[in-house]
Amino acid sequence: MADQKTITVKIKRQDGPEASTRWEEFAVPYRPNMNIISVLMKIRENPVTTSGKQTTPVAWDMNCLEEVCGACSMVINGRPRQSCSALVDQLQQPLTIEPMSTFPIIRDLQVDRSRMFDSLKKVKAWVPIDGTYDLGEGPRLPERKREWAYELSKCMTCGVCLESCPNVNSGSSFMGPAPLSQVRLFNTHPTGAMVKDERLNAIMGDGGLANCGNSQNCVQACPKGIPLTTSIASLNRAATVQMFKNFFGSDHMVD
Amino acid sequence: MAKEKEFYWRRLHSLLGLIPVGLFVTMHLFINFSATNGAESFNKASKTMESLPFLLILEWVVIYIPLMFHAFYGVYIAFTAKPNVNRFGTVRNWFFTMQRLTGIFLVVFVAWHIWQTRLQKAIADAEVNYDMMADIVSNPAMLAFYIVGILAATFHLANGIWSFLVSWGITQSPKSQKVATWVTMIFFVLLSVVGVMAILAFV
Amino acid sequence: MAKSKLLVVGGGLAGLMTTMKAAEMGTEVELFSLVPVKRSHSVCAQGGMNGAVNTKGEGDSPWIHFDDTVYGGDFLANQPPVKAMCEAAPGIIHLLDRMGVMFNRTPEGLLDFRRFGGTMHHRTAFAGATTGQQLLYALDEQVRKWEVEGLVTKYEGWEFLGLVIDEQGVCKGIKAQDLSTHEIRAFRGDAVVMATGGPGIIFGKSTNSMINTGSAASIVYQQGAKYANGEMIQIHPTAIPGDDKLRLMSESARGEGGRIWTYKDGKPWYFLEEKYPAYGNLVPRDVATREIFDVCINQKLGVNGENVVYLDLSHKDPHELDIKLGGIIEIYQKFVGDDPHKVPMKIFPAVHYSMGGLYVDYDQHTTIPGCFAAGECDYSQHGGNRLGANSLLSAIYGGTVAGPNAVNYIKGLDKHVEDLPSKIYDEAVREEQAKWDDVISMDKGNENAYLLHKELGEIMTNNVTVVRYNKQLQDTLGKLAEFKERWNNINVNDTAKWSNQGVQFTRQLRNMIALANVITKGALLRDESRGAHYKPEFPERDDENFLKTTIAEFTPSFEPTITYEEVDCSMIKPRKRDYTGGAH
Repeated sequence: MADQKTITVKIKRQDGPEASTRWEEFAVPYRPNMNIISVLMKIRENPVTTSGKQTTPVAWDMNCLEEVCGACSMVINGRPRQSCSALVDQLQQPLTIEPMSTFPIIRDLQVDRSRMFDSLKKVKAWVPIDGTYDLGEGPRLPERKREWAYELSKCMTCGVCLESCPNVNSGSSFMGPAPLSQVRLFNTHPTGAMVKDERLNAIMGDGGLANCGNSQNCVQACPKGIPLTTSIASLNRAATVQMFKNFFGSDHMVD
Repeated sequence: MAKEKEFYWRRLHSLLGLIPVGLFVTMHLFINFSATNGAESFNKASKTMESLPFLLILEWVVIYIPLMFHAFYGVYIAFTAKPNVNRFGTVRNWFFTMQRLTGIFLVVFVAWHIWQTRLQKAIADAEVNYDMMADIVSNPAMLAFYIVGILAATFHLANGIWSFLVSWGITQSPKSQKVATWVTMIFFVLLSVVGVMAILAFV
Repeated sequence: MAKSKLLVVGGGLAGLMTTMKAAEMGTEVELFSLVPVKRSHSVCAQGGMNGAVNTKGEGDSPWIHFDDTVYGGDFLANQPPVKAMCEAAPGIIHLLDRMGVMFNRTPEGLLDFRRFGGTMHHRTAFAGATTGQQLLYALDEQVRKWEVEGLVTKYEGWEFLGLVIDEQGVCKGIKAQDLSTHEIRAFRGDAVVMATGGPGIIFGKSTNSMINTGSAASIVYQQGAKYANGEMIQIHPTAIPGDDKLRLMSESARGEGGRIWTYKDGKPWYFLEEKYPAYGNLVPRDVATREIFDVCINQKLGVNGENVVYLDLSHKDPHELDIKLGGIIEIYQKFVGDDPHKVPMKIFPAVHYSMGGLYVDYDQHTTIPGCFAAGECDYSQHGGNRLGANSLLSAIYGGTVAGPNAVNYIKGLDKHVEDLPSKIYDEAVREEQAKWDDVISMDKGNENAYLLHKELGEIMTNNVTVVRYNKQLQDTLGKLAEFKERWNNINVNDTAKWSNQGVQFTRQLRNMIALANVITKGALLRDESRGAHYKPEFPERDDENFLKTTIAEFTPSFEPTITYEEVDCSMIKPRKRDYTGGAH
């Protein structure tokens, strides 16, 4: 098997949040239809670098492996994306894998994305229901409206849009595109819209909507194809109106 | 500047970039363009401007205060970004980066330009006229500096209009934003022609 | 009096619903999850959720849903909880709709329903082909609201290590470990609800997410809880074979008109439609799986000689496919590279779901007092085979039962955990710390945990899935005993005291081996064919001897003690299960 084709992969590693970074190179036997996850799995079965050094298995997050859970985001060949859907056959070699550096690094490719979940709290990303008791049917919704709202609801909080945004970084408090788009989603839902002014005011605060600089990388990078920039522009319009309502007062805060 | 008020500062920044700063720049370039009809014509146009009543108040309210706010807040905005065109080589990402680079360059250029012209009038009582400009751009390096400055200004303005349209929620759909890109870039080209022809008229 | 507190382990649909229900009743909840709850395995459910809302003028009713479910499960489920679930289903769908789930709609703006396997009715509410994701997000959002209101505290990135059980054998909390810092803590809880999902990873590659090791349920079983019907493992007929996992291609593909076929004598052969004219491609999963397996393995008629057959949607309107099945179409395009709008998909069966699980009574109470279970990790709803789109329902329904029952149980306690002495908790932490220290120092051996797991998966998949032979099952038990020994010889390759995934996996692997024993032994002893459990040596259902719930109890040798319990069939009399005719 000496002539078996191998894949060379360079991985940026870091033992802990404070530790220094290093690059390690591995050679993995090639198989058709491999994805980055199966490359990493091969490495952990035999964690030895190309220079023959025994090392520790690479730490990374993954779960569903079919691009719906959002866990396995990393920067592959310079692009932030889901590693499960990154097929080796479609990538240039040698492969380089890095963690998403806009988030605090836990270990190797694992990052801490809890700030995204905190943002969801801040923007009240939920439909305020009275309770889980049987209160009959939900509101009607036109199917065509539902179709685009569904696109927004596919956001899996993977963090790729934040990683690709030049305005999300350690020097800024920008919450990033993902939670903003959720505001549009919940302000669209008939019940969610009953507190839409609260959500708009939340994103008109610190780290909110105004921090978007329209580089529009997010919409390029989003693995789910969510129209993030359309959401942001739409929220900009809503915020413009809200701004005047706030200033002059209005009886139409939620309609 | 208070973080909670960031939204309003940003909106103000966006608005002021257009009105009055953008309007002033456009007018300025058109007045300069009169130089293509000779020194006489330029001096006349320039005199008309200088003869406006309450000139100093007008200058401060319409130009200096908005310009300074736009400039200084803009520099803050520019430096909170971490450009990544190497990762995403799209037009919009390039424009995003260019907007910030031209902005920073323009702060230097405009400061220099005001120092060389308006402030010389205030300090040394020099007269701002065709000869003054002709003298400045007789230095090829200065000419190049001015041409780059003008192009930076026209790009920054044209792309700023595009951003304004998005930031205020006027263009929402991808298609409308694309159309706006074309319209603003045509505006950029036309205004650049006006501006560059004007500066070359002083050579 | 100290405040009462409920601990919920698992942040999928069942865990989140439990949490909401308890919080709504004013109980403080601490919620534990390996991953941020939004990444739980519930996201992988695709096709939809059943509820007899009867919007298509078909005369559907909860009773028919109940009958379909019991019949589909080959009468192995106790009937009262199944009936209660089917009756609650329409209300649950409306509740989720109120929470903002973007269910597909009719032109009138009402909920749309589609068909699924094992029924003649349009009973499945769906949100594209990512229904599980959409439902999970809705519950995640509601729980986040409770978090903001201060009633819910989440411990995400914590692994369950075991129940804290007092001298009376009553559950008084849990032991858990932070996966980054490795801090081990004991948490006081008046009651615990296990909502830890299924054990698919025991079979190596499956349609399951990587966290579905069954480790948590296995621990509770090892602590003395009974485990029921472990051998009932559902093999989903349509998944994409893959290197790292087998990706599910939802049954909704067939619900929307997808056809299964292969070539026979050079011509397309729609073998399901031929054999089951009434149900066609929508026979229950166990039936479809056995047919595909037979076509590929026994008749050697797989496409191009490979072990795959076609799942064909190419005759359908492309726009409609995008709206109703977008999620799975995208998965196929991204992971295989072909376009299902144009070419048929190549699929093969894969391990998918465990009907069996922790034994619970009708209140979702396990055999350890104070410990409840809900969702895939309990055994109660699906008998010998689960109908498609019943899992989202049973997960959520389980939560709506477990939550309030746990709260009521707490109300009946005369002493609350905050008043208990700290001795048992300190002891619990010490015990787990010692175990952890042992595993992390396993650096002398020469086994790799991941390779050992791969072997486990291969053996289990080969011998304990679609077709089961007693000899192979017996051999598998022998192998499992070997694995248990070899486990001690693992080298963890990494002794880092920070976010050490290898050690965590090694620990889980041992629990997987324990549960694999339950599955295999249960299968070995059940000498009949029922639902997903099929033995060519015993091809018929044997109600006389095996209309019984298998109950496994842990022994230190890992080979469980098996006993049987009568099934409550008081509502629908068992009848022959046969899908070749018309409506049953």
